[in-house]
Amino acid sequence: MAIKHRAVSRRTRLVSACLFGLACAATLPAQAQQVLSIVTSFPKDLTAVYKKAFEARNPGITVEILNKGTSAGVAFVREAPDGNKPDVFWASAPDAFEVLANEKLLQKFDGANKAVPAKVGDYPINDPEGLYYGQALAGYGIMWNTRYMKANKLPEPKEWADLAKPVYFNHVAISSPSRSGTTHLTVETILQGEGWNEGWRQMLQIGGNCAAITERSFGVPDGVNNGQFGLGLVIDFFGLSAKSSGFPVEFVYPSVTAIVPANIGLIANAKNAELGKRFISFTLSPEGQQLLFDAKISRLPVLPAMYEKAPAGYPNPFGGKITAKVKFDSDLSRSRYYVVNSMFDHTVTFRHKELVAATKAINDAAAKLAGKPNAKAEALLNEARKVAYSPVVGEERARDKEFLSLYSASKRDALKTKQLTALEEEWGSQARKNYARAQELAGQAAALAR
Amino acid sequence: MATAESAGGAVAAPAGGAGLQGAVALAIAAFLLIFLIVPVGTVIYVAFANPDGGLTLAHFGSFFQLSLMRESFWNSLYVAAASVVFASLIALPLAYFTARFQFRGALLIQTLGVLPLIMPPFVGAVAMQLVFGRSGSLNLLLNDWLGITLPIMDGLNGVIFVEALHYFPFILMNLIVALNNIDSAMEESAQNLGSSGMRLFRRIVFPLAMPGYVAGASLVFVKVFDDLGTPLVLNTTNMLAPQAYLRITSIGIEDPVGYVISVLMIVFSLFALWASALALRGRDYATLQRGGSTLGKRRLKPWQSLLAYGWIAFVLLLVLSPHLGILLLSFAKVWSFSVLPDAYTLEHYATLYHDSPRMIGNTLLYCGLAAGLDVVLGTAIAYLMLRSRLPLRRSLDFMASAALAIPGVVLAIGYLRTFRNVEIPFSGELLTSSWILLMLAYTVRRLPYALRSCVAALQQLHVSLEEAAENLGAGKRRTIQRIVVPLMAGGMLAGFVTSFMTAAVELSATIMLTTSQSAAPMSYGIYLYMQSAAGRGPGAALGVLAVLLVALGTYLSHRFLRSRAAELETRM
Amino acid sequence: MQNQVRVEARNIALSYGTTPVLRDVNLVIEPGEFFALLGPSGSGKSTLLRLIAGFNQAQSGQILIGGEDVSRIPPWKRNVGMVFQNYALWPHMSVWQNVAFGLEERRLPKGVIAQKVAAALALVSLSDYAKRRPSQLSGGQQQRVALARTIAIEPNVLLLDEPLSNLDAKLRLHMRDELRQLQRSLGITTIFVTHDQEEAMTTAARIAVMDQGVIQQVGTPMDLFDNPVNRFVANFVGSINLLPGSIRASAPPLRVVSPVLGEFSLPQLAQVPPAGAIEVGFRPHAVVLKAVDAPRDGEHVWLQGTVNDYEFLGEFVRYHIGLEQGSMVADQPHRAGHAPFARASRVAIGIPPAEMRLIGD
Repeated sequence: MAIKHRAVSRRTRLVSACLFGLACAATLPAQAQQVLSIVTSFPKDLTAVYKKAFEARNPGITVEILNKGTSAGVAFVREAPDGNKPDVFWASAPDAFEVLANEKLLQKFDGANKAVPAKVGDYPINDPEGLYYGQALAGYGIMWNTRYMKANKLPEPKEWADLAKPVYFNHVAISSPSRSGTTHLTVETILQGEGWNEGWRQMLQIGGNCAAITERSFGVPDGVNNGQFGLGLVIDFFGLSAKSSGFPVEFVYPSVTAIVPANIGLIANAKNAELGKRFISFTLSPEGQQLLFDAKISRLPVLPAMYEKAPAGYPNPFGGKITAKVKFDSDLSRSRYYVVNSMFDHTVTFRHKELVAATKAINDAAAKLAGKPNAKAEALLNEARKVAYSPVVGEERARDKEFLSLYSASKRDALKTKQLTALEEEWGSQARKNYARAQELAGQAAALAR
Repeated sequence: MATAESAGGAVAAPAGGAGLQGAVALAIAAFLLIFLIVPVGTVIYVAFANPDGGLTLAHFGSFFQLSLMRESFWNSLYVAAASVVFASLIALPLAYFTARFQFRGALLIQTLGVLPLIMPPFVGAVAMQLVFGRSGSLNLLLNDWLGITLPIMDGLNGVIFVEALHYFPFILMNLIVALNNIDSAMEESAQNLGSSGMRLFRRIVFPLAMPGYVAGASLVFVKVFDDLGTPLVLNTTNMLAPQAYLRITSIGIEDPVGYVISVLMIVFSLFALWASALALRGRDYATLQRGGSTLGKRRLKPWQSLLAYGWIAFVLLLVLSPHLGILLLSFAKVWSFSVLPDAYTLEHYATLYHDSPRMIGNTLLYCGLAAGLDVVLGTAIAYLMLRSRLPLRRSLDFMASAALAIPGVVLAIGYLRTFRNVEIPFSGELLTSSWILLMLAYTVRRLPYALRSCVAALQQLHVSLEEAAENLGAGKRRTIQRIVVPLMAGGMLAGFVTSFMTAAVELSATIMLTTSQSAAPMSYGIYLYMQSAAGRGPGAALGVLAVLLVALGTYLSHRFLRSRAAELETRM
Repeated sequence: MQNQVRVEARNIALSYGTTPVLRDVNLVIEPGEFFALLGPSGSGKSTLLRLIAGFNQAQSGQILIGGEDVSRIPPWKRNVGMVFQNYALWPHMSVWQNVAFGLEERRLPKGVIAQKVAAALALVSLSDYAKRRPSQLSGGQQQRVALARTIAIEPNVLLLDEPLSNLDAKLRLHMRDELRQLQRSLGITTIFVTHDQEEAMTTAARIAVMDQGVIQQVGTPMDLFDNPVNRFVANFVGSINLLPGSIRASAPPLRVVSPVLGEFSLPQLAQVPPAGAIEVGFRPHAVVLKAVDAPRDGEHVWLQGTVNDYEFLGEFVRYHIGLEQGSMVADQPHRAGHAPFARASRVAIGIPPAEMRLIGD
């Protein structure tokens, strides 16, 4: 008995020794090289090119890319211990950088490339505080799958407003603005370009035409690439790079669109801040900007001079052709950021089924009425449209400072949570009621058309 | 459970045994406390907190104010229940036919039957869309032939479809183990009394396999109820888990309601597991003899086997079509809005060969260690729960099972927060920047799977078998080593395989806790590739490798078990 | 009384892989007979039983029940009731449900089922336990539930697989009586598997002794006891003394010569093995012991030995006696006041020739 016990304990010792050895082996690779660590939401296609170029230029430095997605990236930076934080944060969403800046997680440094203009259109390229820099430009546009369009006999769209047309019903996809900073900017661009009420009318109609409201911004181009959706609202490089990868897709910028920078910033209390600075400067240099033309990347440089060397047909945001016609007010955008997102979610994302049903009823009724004019039915249908496509918050209220201040604090106390959820409930149930009413009205109109 | 209750007096351990049991229980509790409760607590306390530092329950009031949440709750409940029904419909015939009839390729079928669990993140979703989606192969064909399309992947029904296809192996694996553990005389006596076919199954076989079925079904229920990935990739947000996730991961906001949802989901999940345990209470499922070896597998009549093979082929085709889709995708140049890819290439695998050989090794290492730990912990918890008289022994089960309801991202943030500045002894390296934390996250997240299998296996093991060993002079430890563990081997293996394969495709904690590319596992690589249009091919190729790897591991462990069983038989 | 059927095995051969389990088994069990299959474990008796029940398939040969070849009929259509060694009561059903099961499978009307279950439970005196679960019953009660469950379906044949082996000694005796009475009152053809010769002899009308997949001998208990055909049967059914010898003349009168017993003649025997080396067998209780100096009669064959040891067993005293070559056992009835032969004392052993059997190799 005793002997056997010893055998057992020997085995346990062996196992624990193995475990310990493994642990040591994992921690062993001594870091003779300097490591630059970058947190990013960008795909490998982009980061790999930069990593290779930067390492080639700086022997002895290893670039460690941590691809985490925007939200996880912010949390990772926040939770990493001071002095051991990653060095660079590199992502599209401007809101993520604002959050990092607010939480004092970004480090100011003088690394701007002076040749970069202050603004693209009306949007500042670099953070006015100097905490982060625009590294590439991205415009929002419409991407579609040519096979899908052909199979479903759909016309090619040109403007956002086109997407509100009944012909695109159930063929569109959009990502939720609360999940994608660039989608938010597109929504905001439409709202500022068309005005609050008209803008929402358009957004709700587009929402009603959507086959899906995706949770990730990449979900839209992914679905269009598959042929799962016919068209989608996407950032240009999603469309351009997919096309260059051989997918049967096309991309256009509408005349009213947002051109915004994707940013890069130095993280405060980083492990290797100096390396971080060097990398940021590299990405802003002509050499670093040149890399953006790579077919798999297909992004727009912030250096206007670069466009002289651009491949033929490459869009140029500084050339005037796709300059946003809207005078984009970024302060206004910032002030109502959470209101717009929350409204969109509670009236479109979470009530999508009902919105689609209402839109279908309205489209059906309109189709029936097309051949036989009927004043009463027309009136009913217009009423249905009005009910379905009006924002649940009026323009006045959307400007109310007190109302907006509800959303300002990042931490929420019991009272605020209560007020906010009360608003969410109000919007959600109002939207549900509106869509049901619209469906009913459209049904009545359709009945009159017989 | 009844076994432990009814035989409790008999197994009451001598004082020394109880001391050892207590120590083991404390060690497990400490592990769960450090690597589950505390980290999750540091994140989830927001549900109870005011920014001024005080505690409040007011956020719960806010939660109940939202009709969206009630809707989400019912949707989640409906989806979970319906998924269990469909998963059972898939799993029951597969398990029964292969375990009870002479069936060519039974082992292959059982192995293929667990593959759906390894649905690589994102690639799986893309493949499902390419096969079953609005413009997937199936619908394109249907549209060509019949002019109709089926909205298979739309709305809640789409979620149910994908979840059932994805998680039915939980039921399948546990059921096969349970069927093999039924004493053959139980079925023979029923046949002898005139029962056969469906009635035999419904009245005798299925009720006796209940512990295994309930273990699998409750796991599917809770897993689906708490699942985040599937609803999100199908863009269904009106369910609890996505609602919690969307609120928790909103950039720049600490939304307490998101955490309230998490808390309530944990509570509900535990309630569901408790209720399933209650359903088994008061029944004695343990059988003295283990069947399998003595039970002659029945022969099917030609028409029966035609039917059975046909049905199984259909089911396998259905459940493996995402994998076929991934395979095609990995060889596809472009696949878009067409039944099959336009052209084929090997270049994606070449890309992989340059990029990520290390990831495979990392996945094997992390998931192997995690699954091993899970089985050890699962067996220990099951044993303490069913065989000891320790107070609060059920709470270990509840603690471990709570991990089911915790989103990976919450656990990961909790780890980073809790172990900030903690160094690994003797190395000076931070725990948060080593892979050990990732491995532990896998361990904790997948422990409930291994635990359910171990509990079911031990439930079917009659306590007298252990008593016999003790009576012959084996101490508690030797009894466990020589009697309990060998007889539980099937369940433990099922637990290992489930933990391993699901850890291999775990994503949310992986993204958060991966701190260097050299330490990244395959799931991280797949995620990385699937962020761009050009990465789809390599991502799918990596997905294929992951599936093959795990499938091979599963097949080998089944083989190993079979040969062990054969060895035991010849020795007898 | 139910209609009684004949059970017949014809040329049955069955093997698992290369291991033969049953070899050319031929057996006829008469209608209404209480028949036992007796043999050590591994002899194939349980396999034969399961073959009759339909759980095993023979490679060749036929099983006939009531004259009908059932080899191709599945177990659930044979109407052959079997009581399993471990009873195989379903733990998830109550006693009542267990007993009702087979009747429900036969889709009998509810009222009939209730009546028959009640009757079956009454027959085994368990009417008060209908609501219990099997785990709440004692071993004997479980056994009776298993029995009630089987006879409730009124099978053509009742198969009992070691039915008493899981019971304690006293209960075993009691259940043995009950089984016998039950069989007699039901009149059902019953086949009973056991490794216990006493159990077989006391319950069965006829017994088949099996060893290594072969039926060694079939007969009534007395027949087997008195005229074992071979060494195995002689040893397995009761105990026997075997002394070496050879046949001198086969034609009557039979002359046998043995180094221990000398030369003597035997009366007419049921079986005579071919000439050559044989063993002379006789039962321990058949011999007479006397003091060496006591007068000996001429009706016995006499020899001498030394008492090595003895055991007092109540009804008789068992002497272990050393001979010139080998040893033997002698049982002598005990009467009050009789002192046994002392250890180491010399005794004369008288064997009646009528009790002697010749057993070939």
